[in-house]
Amino acid sequence: MILEILSIGLIVSACLALFLDEVVYSVAALAGTFLFTALLYVENGAVYAAIFQFAVGVGTLAILFLSGEMLSDKPTKKTSPKKTVALIGAGVVLSLPVIFLSVSGSTGVYSDTSFGNALWNLSGVDVILQALVILTVALGIAIILYERRNGGK
Amino acid sequence: MDFVILSLVMMAIGIYGLLTNRQLLKVFISIELIATAATLNFVMLASSTGQGLGQAFLILAFSTDTAVSAVILALLVIVSKKYGTSNINEILKTQEKRENEAEQ
Repeated sequence: MILEILSIGLIVSACLALFLDEVVYSVAALAGTFLFTALLYVENGAVYAAIFQFAVGVGTLAILFLSGEMLSDKPTKKTSPKKTVALIGAGVVLSLPVIFLSVSGSTGVYSDTSFGNALWNLSGVDVILQALVILTVALGIAIILYERRNGGK
Repeated sequence: MDFVILSLVMMAIGIYGLLTNRQLLKVFISIELIATAATLNFVMLASSTGQGLGQAFLILAFSTDTAVSAVILALLVIVSKKYGTSNINEILKTQEKRENEAEQ
């Protein structure tokens, strides 16, 4: 059941990341995509892959937040709630074949390292904390840029 | 075959976004989604066959992905600075205008 929910979340957040009008919201949805991917890895026993996915994802998101604020043009229209709901519906429909054809049959858990062990005893927490610090700094800079851009109003 | 369809759907969404979006940053996000689909497939296949080496190779895949992202982002910044916009249609129009001015 968890795998199905994660798969739906992954595809829905991917759809939102691509088709929302505002770049900042798209990047936030992309964060969801990376998070769901990491959780899928954890569920399948690939804990190191999950930690690296998280760290690399955070770096990419930091850069995307900054470049999204600096480079993107201001959107002329805001995304309507109807469009958001339609995107979520499209994502759920797209994830139906995934649920019925592939994920349900998954049985492969091979790693004998638990997530807690990888996190606390094998320095995974260092990697994650460094990534979080980088993301916090990038978010701060992005907020300053956003305020500066809207400061003229 | 576990998770292959999930990867395929993710890759299809990424390719569709790559073909339809006109914003350079959205194109970049599409490429990220395609790369995520590829790594997802890689890890899940390695996981289902019980080979731990798949995780080790994944780190190489992540490194390559990060390098590709850095190059794409550098190109994106250069193009945005040169043309003053990140919309592909407007960039093409500006390019055409410049070429016409150069011919005259």
